[in-house]
Amino acid sequence: MSEILRLENINYSYIDGGYERQILKNLSYTFDSGKFYTILGPSGSDKTTLLSIIAGLDNPKSGELYFEGENIKKIGLHQYRRNKIAIVFQQYNLIGYLTALENVELAMAETDNKLPNDKKAVAYNLLEKFGIVKTKANRLVGQLSGGEQQRVAIARSLASNVNLIFADEPTGNLDTATEKEIIGVFKELAHDFNKTVIVVTHSDAVSQMSDQRLMLQDGVLKNL
Amino acid sequence: MNFFNRAIKNVTRKWSKSVLLLITFLVIGNFVIVGLGISQAANDAKTITRQKMRAVVTMSIDYDAVNEYVNNLTDQDEIDEFYSHYPNVTVEDVRSILQDSRVKTANATQFQTVYQVPNSTVDFIHLNNSAENNGGGQSCYVDANGQEICTEYQQPVFGIKTNYFPSMIEIEDNEFQIVEGRFYSQEDIDNYNNVVVVSEAFAELNNLSVGDHFEITMYDSASLNNGYLSQYNITEEETRLDLEVIGIYSHNRQITPDSERFDYTFPYENYDNVFLMPMTSLIAYQVPISQKIFDHDAELYPDQEYYQNPNNRPSMDNLSQYGLSEVTLLLNDPLEVDQFIEDYNGNLRQFIKLDANNEEFERLSRPLDTLSLYANFIVWLVVINAIIIITLVTALTLKTREYEIGVLLSVGASKLKIVAQFFVELAIIAIIGFTLSIVTGSMIANQVGQSVLNYQIESSGVNENNGNDIWVDNGMESVWDTDYTTDVTLEDFVAEYNVSISPVIIAEIYVVGLGIVLVSILIPSLMIMRYNPKRILMNQN
Repeated sequence: MSEILRLENINYSYIDGGYERQILKNLSYTFDSGKFYTILGPSGSDKTTLLSIIAGLDNPKSGELYFEGENIKKIGLHQYRRNKIAIVFQQYNLIGYLTALENVELAMAETDNKLPNDKKAVAYNLLEKFGIVKTKANRLVGQLSGGEQQRVAIARSLASNVNLIFADEPTGNLDTATEKEIIGVFKELAHDFNKTVIVVTHSDAVSQMSDQRLMLQDGVLKNL
Repeated sequence: MNFFNRAIKNVTRKWSKSVLLLITFLVIGNFVIVGLGISQAANDAKTITRQKMRAVVTMSIDYDAVNEYVNNLTDQDEIDEFYSHYPNVTVEDVRSILQDSRVKTANATQFQTVYQVPNSTVDFIHLNNSAENNGGGQSCYVDANGQEICTEYQQPVFGIKTNYFPSMIEIEDNEFQIVEGRFYSQEDIDNYNNVVVVSEAFAELNNLSVGDHFEITMYDSASLNNGYLSQYNITEEETRLDLEVIGIYSHNRQITPDSERFDYTFPYENYDNVFLMPMTSLIAYQVPISQKIFDHDAELYPDQEYYQNPNNRPSMDNLSQYGLSEVTLLLNDPLEVDQFIEDYNGNLRQFIKLDANNEEFERLSRPLDTLSLYANFIVWLVVINAIIIITLVTALTLKTREYEIGVLLSVGASKLKIVAQFFVELAIIAIIGFTLSIVTGSMIANQVGQSVLNYQIESSGVNENNGNDIWVDNGMESVWDTDYTTDVTLEDFVAEYNVSISPVIIAEIYVVGLGIVLVSILIPSLMIMRYNPKRILMNQN
């Protein structure tokens, strides 16, 4: 397995109530491609902060991140988000005035990655793969259930044809059956499509299904 | 799903928000169009009226400046010296200003009555009116022996209109048209050629064509035959001026029995009997006669200081030195008049000034100026308010879309595309709103503008007739002195006041409106996007 993402001495802190709070302390870790990772941690351990940093949504105070051996500063955060990674948010983060299909097409429109010519057909297929049939795909996302919206969000994350997918509590709002289904998809993506999936979760059940369980504790990542 | 498509989806699917914004733009657009429409109509009415006026500027002595200068002189010798070299507009002053491409021609015209020579081969156009039939009279003088000698004097029947320059305002404005031959040239002026342009009626009456010659004289037979000129040994032959016809002109100043003052019009006041010739030629004709008179008097009064100064002996140079009290310049464009005056006044020789003589125009256009001022004030007020309102509305709208901005940034959308999407959304609504406001605004502007203009006219009192606005054509048409300025009436202005929303205003509305939209989007967008996507999404959550 080859390295896809390497974290070197990542530090992150913020001022809280007049005191500097150190969140990440010289955190170093290497993620390999084709694996499904889960990051666990107690509530308030700033798992989401870590995810934001490795997903290029925020900058660390110090330290370096390397994507496939290239420093993401060199790639550029915008390009990194645009062409290298995809994120699935707990709150789905779909655009309300667009249909499910259009939300998926949105990611395809923004990336520079090579995609099939018939993007609409690809988007329909992706949605169908996650149980969103054509009639539902053409509905505004607000007219879909929470589980359906999360599937749309996952479909969107795959639409831009990236190899690294982050998910922040993707099953937090879902029932157990749907949760299993979604996690199954992540495993499939890692194992069958050689994608790297990094999921932040507080659910031990979810983490049990991953290839590698990690714990964020005292500002560092530890293998479990 | 590019940014443009997203914008379209947002506008059409969030239609209630779009309608509210549309109403906002419609109201703002109406105010701006009313203001701009009224302002432009006022300016247009002024411009059109101005364009109808002749583009004339007078170049004259600034008597106010002269008086002020003299009043500040304390030494009598200085005052005497000043008056002995009283400032004048010179031909050189005019020639210099004629170099300006904005100037079409200059009229430094003079009118001189002349006589038929004895046994003349040419006749004049007869009006057979009271002035012609009762012309002539007695001319008396006291001779050296103290004896009064009276002779019947001859009536002048022709007029000569001279100019120092090779054209005339009347020619440029087609009031006089050369129907055959040509007008005199600079070469004719410089060489004092005895050339003349005669009227069509005169040429026809006397069977004259271009190239023919005829004679006139400036001196009547009474003053020559034992008259006062006889003492100077000036013969009748010497006073004859042989003129070559180089051109024939038609004019629009026909005198008919229906004309005002017909009975009191002398033959030489009828343009049919007026010849056009270079001023220098007329001076050259007068020089030898004037020299003879000077030499005679110098011999008679050798002790007089005046005659001792050889510079006072008439010559082409010193007779040409006589200043021109006023020169009228014709410009190409009436709208250039004010700028032209501004460019030159202060840069001319001392005591010379340019004047447009458009006080009446300024007086009558005052209500339009006030109207334009109010309208501009409204426009500025509305534009400032529009910027504030649109910015606030946009800021509030974008605040609710912070989440969307965060999502778009997290999927890799560029800030530029995000701003572009919001701009397209608002631009679509703004363009529809402004387009609707052009229709409604122009109707309102016409009504409001007319009402305010009427009120302005009433309250300013400019509609009271001051007796100056009775001339609505191109000035008085006297052979002696022509007023080239065009008087205008209040009705001229009101007739031209018409609110129509020009393409320029429409373009301004769209450009300014979309500019405001862009600014109002940029500010809140950049405020939001100065944070990283995580912070934006966290703020929203």
